[in-house]
Amino acid sequence: MRTPLLPTFLLLAALAILFLFPFFWMFYVSLSPGWTLNNFKDVLEQKMFSRAFFNSVFVTAVITLGNLFFALLAGYGLARYPTVSNRFLFISILAVLAVPTHVVIIPLFLLVRKLGWYDTYWALIVPFLVSPLGILLLRQYILSLPVELEEAARLDGAGELRIIFSIVAPLAKPALAALAIQSFWVNWNNFLFPFLFTSSENLRVLPVALAMYQSYQAIDWPHLFAASAVATIPVLAVFLVLQKQIIAGLTAGALKQ
Amino acid sequence: MAGKNTGYLLPLPWTLTLLLIWIFPLVWSLVLAFADYNLLSGELNWIGLENFRRLLSDPSFQRALWNTFLFVIGTLPFTTLFALLLALALNRPVWGKNFFKASFFIPTITSLVVVALIFTKLYSEGSWLYRFLGQFFNLPSGGFLLSDKTALPSIMIMDIWAAIGYYILLFLVALQNVPQELYEAAKVEGANSWQTFWAVTFPSIKPMLFFIVTLNTIKSFQVFTEVFVMTKGGPLGSTTTAVYFIYEEGLHRFKMGYASAAAYLLFAIIALFSYFLFKSFKSESEVLAPAQTKA
Repeated sequence: MRTPLLPTFLLLAALAILFLFPFFWMFYVSLSPGWTLNNFKDVLEQKMFSRAFFNSVFVTAVITLGNLFFALLAGYGLARYPTVSNRFLFISILAVLAVPTHVVIIPLFLLVRKLGWYDTYWALIVPFLVSPLGILLLRQYILSLPVELEEAARLDGAGELRIIFSIVAPLAKPALAALAIQSFWVNWNNFLFPFLFTSSENLRVLPVALAMYQSYQAIDWPHLFAASAVATIPVLAVFLVLQKQIIAGLTAGALKQ
Repeated sequence: MAGKNTGYLLPLPWTLTLLLIWIFPLVWSLVLAFADYNLLSGELNWIGLENFRRLLSDPSFQRALWNTFLFVIGTLPFTTLFALLLALALNRPVWGKNFFKASFFIPTITSLVVVALIFTKLYSEGSWLYRFLGQFFNLPSGGFLLSDKTALPSIMIMDIWAAIGYYILLFLVALQNVPQELYEAAKVEGANSWQTFWAVTFPSIKPMLFFIVTLNTIKSFQVFTEVFVMTKGGPLGSTTTAVYFIYEEGLHRFKMGYASAAAYLLFAIIALFSYFLFKSFKSESEVLAPAQTKA
């Protein structure tokens, strides 16, 4: 049983190098020439990137909080009030998850312009505030919770919102944590829609700033890779600390299929 | 108090999002697909099927569809197969498997823009990879992304590398859910590992395999970010994919109707693929069902 695992181990080790090497290389280039942090300092002082970093933090934080709040409300509603219209809403979530997003690129762009949101924070935030996958996740999780506590609270005179925030939310913490990480990850890395919905440098989030920096000028790789590293480090850090929850969150959506 | 309307109020934000972000745009783009819409003047002229007729005879759209098809064929089988093999390896009690799992997954959690930038440099003429491979092969001058022969395959290789981690995780979840009794039963009956895989493992992970292939198909048909960052559809249109075409026509040249028609055509193709995937998996699982009960 022990011997056949050595080839497996060696193969996996070789592949792990193949997967990690490009990142080491990115960090290596970002520290050149020599071993210096100057590129990082330049990048964080350069208005274009520091602004993009702020935008990414702000937009991602608001969206993540919104995703949690709305998924908790809607997930609870769909789990505990199985009316005909709610069953329809549940099916709509599954349908939306199956529709490729590119079909709505053009009309969403037009809509954002019509609403006067083009090139504002509204366009970067509002379309993503309610996450269908998040609602699905919370609905499934709340369905698995016992209703007795909620009923007892109801008899004691607690309102629905009180029940949601002081009884359901603490019980649903694992699902909320998984959703928070997933929202952070997806929105921090989101490129296509922020790219389409904004035009000014002041509203660029990090992925957009990185992609546009490249098309600007002859490429200054050490600085570009330093900025890329700045965009990667937060996700990497969150992932390394919360690996288990991330994997649970990412696979939860698939499990229910 | 639990009012009669609570059940409707709680999911209201989703109802609004559904209407605003999905249903309304989907209907709107269907309308646009049959019209000639000028963004600047706001003029909308009905032209019926003209957009679709023009698209089907537009060589750059044909090229974009062909490139997209090549991309799907060139990545999907490899991503799925490699992910399954790696998941099988990681499912064994091998030393350091949590470290390996994390290593394979890191490209997936990284922004695709960052991944594309790293590979843009890696594929460029002066890079160590280029110089290393140049000792054995005749490489295109200017790097891999500047030749119409190597640009698309280069992006495909990167995509397999970048996407595989997520599918490994999904396969691992499926593998961990295979009932242990089935393995024990297979062992008692003296099945070798190959037989055990086909009789026990494969039927059990089939729903996940179906899910992965479908998800991966939908995603692969929508490849855009890599192309935008690395090649802008070039050289000579060799990496213009369907979504890149939609972006160029609709949001660069502002031919909204034309681009919407292209988006709906692509949507129809994806739906058709998903339908056939669904059908083939369903009929096959009926055939395999007796084998599963036997094991």
